[in-house]
Amino acid sequence: MSEYLKVLAKMAKKWTKIIGEGKSLRSITIKKYVRKGIPGEHRGLVWLAVSGGEDMKNASPDLYQKLLLSPHNVETAEIIKTDLPRTFPDNIFFNNTENQQHQLYNVLLAFAHQNKTVGYCQGLNYIAGLLLLVTKSEETAFWLLKVLIDKILPDYYTCTMDGLLTDIDVLAELVRIKMPDVYQHVTNVGLPWPVITTKWFVCLFAEVLPIETTLRIWDCLFYEGTKIIFRVALTLIKRNKSNLLACQDFTTLAECFKEITKDSIVLRCHEFMQSIFKVPGSLPGNTIAKLRTKHMQQRIKRKQDKLER
Amino acid sequence: MATRGTAQRPNGSTQGKICQFKLVLLGESAVGKSSLVLRFVKGQFHEYQESTIGAAFLTQTVCLDDTTVKFEIWDTAGQERYHSLAPMYYRGAQAAIVVYDITNQDTFSRAQTWVKELQRQASPSIVIALAGNKADLANKRVVEYDEAQTYADENGLLFMETSAKTAMNVNDIFLAIAKKLPKNEQSGSASTSGQGRRLVESDGQKAATGNCCK
Repeated sequence: MSEYLKVLAKMAKKWTKIIGEGKSLRSITIKKYVRKGIPGEHRGLVWLAVSGGEDMKNASPDLYQKLLLSPHNVETAEIIKTDLPRTFPDNIFFNNTENQQHQLYNVLLAFAHQNKTVGYCQGLNYIAGLLLLVTKSEETAFWLLKVLIDKILPDYYTCTMDGLLTDIDVLAELVRIKMPDVYQHVTNVGLPWPVITTKWFVCLFAEVLPIETTLRIWDCLFYEGTKIIFRVALTLIKRNKSNLLACQDFTTLAECFKEITKDSIVLRCHEFMQSIFKVPGSLPGNTIAKLRTKHMQQRIKRKQDKLER
Repeated sequence: MATRGTAQRPNGSTQGKICQFKLVLLGESAVGKSSLVLRFVKGQFHEYQESTIGAAFLTQTVCLDDTTVKFEIWDTAGQERYHSLAPMYYRGAQAAIVVYDITNQDTFSRAQTWVKELQRQASPSIVIALAGNKADLANKRVVEYDEAQTYADENGLLFMETSAKTAMNVNDIFLAIAKKLPKNEQSGSASTSGQGRRLVESDGQKAATGNCCK
């Protein structure tokens, strides 16, 4: 822990300098710094700048306020309300504080209102909740949620969740290519990949991994995009390979996949984040793009075959 | 199907056979699926249970006569768009609890849709139980007990009103399912000796794992 505090202190100095100079936040140097972690106090601002969220906001500066004032779909509002007290109920920011729950409500409702294809999907409550915890600003949280869903992630949260199911297929294939023994073992035991990884993708590891580890992942996610999710997932699997291979039945393997999201490997977030860029090996963006196209086409074909039968 | 084996008690005496069953919980969002599981597995209740994303997996063991029944419980997400993932969870399941909220009519309709889907797509021998949860909120009731009982009778479902909050009927519904599940190849013939007899005390507060399983 004290080691990590030193890392944090060193990075805080560097970031204060960078932000003070008002330089562009998209450069090779900054990418290196982002991978080492953005200090908590600068996170909201840096995420917004490096993800393109700031440009979106500048293009329609009064969008958020307009959305809050416009009429809302009652059904969507009700679904969101049901989830408010069920979002981080143990976190002091959210429990018993109507005001914070109201902020979460505003962010989710405004988002649902302007993206009708997605509307509200369970899981977004955890993402928006964590964004609020980090930024302490409803409007910044809204723009970050918007940039994540409209720009960074494929169609994870739409009604059919096709983008999510495709990315789970892509991960399974990456495991098959990079760790054929693990892939074969999971297949033999009969544990479907969506059972293991749906929450990893939907929540972007919020409520899955320890919070500081999740925030470090999001630092890279806002800067580098979705391949970070694959890097994290592959690292989790590879670093726990022997434990996973030792599980002989469905129950123990399912339990093991839960355990590996809580152990000391992921708690030591700085070391874990360094390892995600080494452990899985090379992962070019165009490999992921090709696999996505392939699996999306297969998915569409399976759907068509099912309809014809 | 059920996996069997012979367990040794710590004192060395033979305990009888062990059956393992896959059970899935289905139902509309926020009816109390995760709360029922939490009550059954850990004897706990949280007023605000976190919303389940994808599915959660837990196990719990109950004892029935000379049989140890181990439930592999798959607790699923309720929101409609997670529906496409559901077959992955009920495929191969020997039992299902379809949950609705007695204070919300829509959740009862949704439960009926789940029952239809299970009858059409799940294993033909699946044991389905219907749970009318939040029975402690009797003053807000909109789904009548008799209406649900009639529906359950017509469809061959086990039925109980439950309350994860007060623990009412929570262990009982799992035990009723355990009793109804076949314990060997001659579908249920061996378990008939235990019909109507309960060896596990389920006073509603204690977790269903009695001393006999330890």
